[in-house]
Amino acid sequence: MLIETRNLTHIYMPGTPFQVEALKGINLGIERGEFVGIIGETGSGKSTLVQHFNGLLRPNSGEVLLEGRNIWAGEINLRQIRSRVALLFQFPEHQLFEETVFKDVAFGPRNLGLDGEELEGRVRYGLELMGLDYQAYKDRSPFNLSGGEKRRVAMAGILAMKPEVVILDEPSAGMDPSGRRHLLEQIETLHREENLTVVLVTHNMDEVSRLAKRLFVFSGGQLVLQGSPAEVFNSTAIIKEIGLDLPPLTALLQKLKESGQNIRTDLFSLEEAGKEILQHYQGG
Amino acid sequence: MSAIIKLQNVTFDYPSGDVKQIRALESLSLTIEEGEYIALIGPNGSGKSTLARHLNAILLPTAGEVRVDGFLTTREEHRWEIRRRVGMVFQNPDNQIVATTVEEDVAFGLENLGVETPVIARRVAEALEMVGLQSLRNHAPHLLSGGQKQRLAIAGVIAMRPRCLVLDEPTAMLDPRGRREVLETVMKMNRQEGITVVHITHFMEEILEADRVIVMDRGKIVHQGTPAEIFSGELDLYSLGLEVPIIPKLIQMLRSGGLNIPAGVLNVDELVNFLC
Amino acid sequence: MRSITLGHYLPGNSLLHKLDPRVKLLSLLILIVALFLVKTFLGFLLFAAFMLIIFASSRLPWRYFLRGLRPILYIVLFTLILHFLFTEGGQVYWRWGPITIEEAGVYLGAFMTLRLVLLVITTLLVTLTTSPIAFADGIEFLLRPFRRLGIPGHEIAMMMTIALRFIPTLIEESDKIRKAQMARGADFETGNILRRARNLVPLLVPLFVSAFRRADELAVAMEARCYRGGENRTKLRELHTRPLDYFGIITVTGLVLAIVLTGV
Repeated sequence: MLIETRNLTHIYMPGTPFQVEALKGINLGIERGEFVGIIGETGSGKSTLVQHFNGLLRPNSGEVLLEGRNIWAGEINLRQIRSRVALLFQFPEHQLFEETVFKDVAFGPRNLGLDGEELEGRVRYGLELMGLDYQAYKDRSPFNLSGGEKRRVAMAGILAMKPEVVILDEPSAGMDPSGRRHLLEQIETLHREENLTVVLVTHNMDEVSRLAKRLFVFSGGQLVLQGSPAEVFNSTAIIKEIGLDLPPLTALLQKLKESGQNIRTDLFSLEEAGKEILQHYQGG
Repeated sequence: MSAIIKLQNVTFDYPSGDVKQIRALESLSLTIEEGEYIALIGPNGSGKSTLARHLNAILLPTAGEVRVDGFLTTREEHRWEIRRRVGMVFQNPDNQIVATTVEEDVAFGLENLGVETPVIARRVAEALEMVGLQSLRNHAPHLLSGGQKQRLAIAGVIAMRPRCLVLDEPTAMLDPRGRREVLETVMKMNRQEGITVVHITHFMEEILEADRVIVMDRGKIVHQGTPAEIFSGELDLYSLGLEVPIIPKLIQMLRSGGLNIPAGVLNVDELVNFLC
Repeated sequence: MRSITLGHYLPGNSLLHKLDPRVKLLSLLILIVALFLVKTFLGFLLFAAFMLIIFASSRLPWRYFLRGLRPILYIVLFTLILHFLFTEGGQVYWRWGPITIEEAGVYLGAFMTLRLVLLVITTLLVTLTTSPIAFADGIEFLLRPFRRLGIPGHEIAMMMTIALRFIPTLIEESDKIRKAQMARGADFETGNILRRARNLVPLLVPLFVSAFRRADELAVAMEARCYRGGENRTKLRELHTRPLDYFGIITVTGLVLAIVLTGV
């Protein structure tokens, strides 16, 4: 198990009238090389959870383990943990601050003590993984790039640390359709080719149902469901109760099934769902 | 129907540091009818926001003209008449709320217009009722959810009794619940209050209810039509950097697979009704 | 964070809360002038008694009120010690090597401290019972006569409102950026002052960039809602003076006159 939480509880502003229990005894595990999705309404505890994975928040009780080691026990090296478990917040372009793309992408690796050729190699690696040409971009000001480019530079800055896990919080928020498509394809490629463990926090059920192999569903600070997209989205009663949407294709297949068709409801790609529907309705 | 906004051969260049200017709108003409719900789509940089900002004289055309209810946007003395008729809601919910309470913020526009105090109070109450925020009227804006903030922004505009509401990606930064709240509110303003709506969005699912969809690319209108026409498959949205939402895409696939699905079918429920 | 909440408006329904903000601000000004006219401890005693009555009428929780005084504690102590040590004259009370505490020092120290404490108490009574909106409205009105001298009353009030509106937003944002940079290995907690200051760059640059972007967008949004300065502007809430307000301002003026005329 790469990342594991045991009975993780987090309380904001404990002991004050504003006390909020954001996470209540969470137990979950993520294997190396997995692509998992975390879904749930705003305020369900998703963001609080992922900030524990790299030690940005400290649990009030319970443990967070990285490769079986409690990150808050013994000698604590948060910088090293954060380089292994990278977290990219929503609208990451807001964190850019350097004069050049090179310097900004180099910020993370430099904090790890790298310099010289090794540093340059890392910057090149990060930029090229995000589809940005090193020579063309390295000397430009990050503030003069387009919105989509800024976001990819911010992401390159994370990847340049060569993390084992990347946590992405709503990475495609606010982008236009082609930007969104492009970014998600890149994330998929990263997962496949670099064998990166990916944790995707999102509100987009359609995207997550096709990308992630396993989903964790949060509501009111609790882990209410986990399993494959098919398992999760066929627990229709719970999904509806906690106020989440179904992916549109799943909603359609389920309604067709309800109307009496013996149709499969565990298909998430357009092609498969289309074929399934055609099989049942062709000529009818 | 009568036209509320008319753009004729509007060209707009953004001044830039270089000698070369950046052309954002290219000889664009458009007539918006009173009471219409228009969805405006296009990739980033296609000129959607620039167009929106011409509708209430925040930007003025480099060439051509824009008339709102007969008033010319380039005439300084018409500016306030235009802005009280065409209200705008922007993308970032935080950066358009001025006051420290919900109620005071709704009042802001009316105060600017010099409306009398008792009338302001009445209209503020009405507007909050319409967007469903009356119970939060004394709250501080930063305590609201994203969807509530955008509804507050809509209330602030509606209180001024505009004829037209222009929304520039109002749902881009919201979660699904917030998006739903905002869409329902906008739809209500259009269908119940008869306010003309121009809605810019990147979410293709949001345009299914529009009367007319306008597709922009590189400063020009490249296509217009009903949502059914836009998503029929004839128009190559993909090469425009856009996409067909998944259900209409599925419908296209089912049609080419031999199912005879009529043109008006666009969402899950309509498709289920047809199939069963 | 906490220092921002100190002296912060506490909603309520007391007589003091209901007083017209203009009357409160004007009274505050008059009372501050009065404090500098007081010459004797008897004067301070009378003044303090008056403030005690006002405090009782405000129905503010005294704990919360006293907490508002805490930030000036060090200033008070500093003033006292300076006067004790360096003001000379009169009887010598205490001597240790070159250090002496003399009568004039004790007298002046106590006098200055009392003046400072009463000044803060008076100000707190106003800020704790006046909402930011009413405060801004009051300032705008009182500065109106000075418009011709080039003092932009409306703009100052608008700036106050916008600042109050955006402080929580910017605090939230700085927290988010701080965490984002920490996720990239930034360190805000260790090192000497110089190093720490330099380490703040990754936090401050994005914060400034964002603040400018917000200002830009807000300006456009305000313009779109027909904002054109303070001319011919009306208000959701008009300020009304009532008998209570006249009573208030007459009492305060009476007190000041009494101080000046009796010379206490």
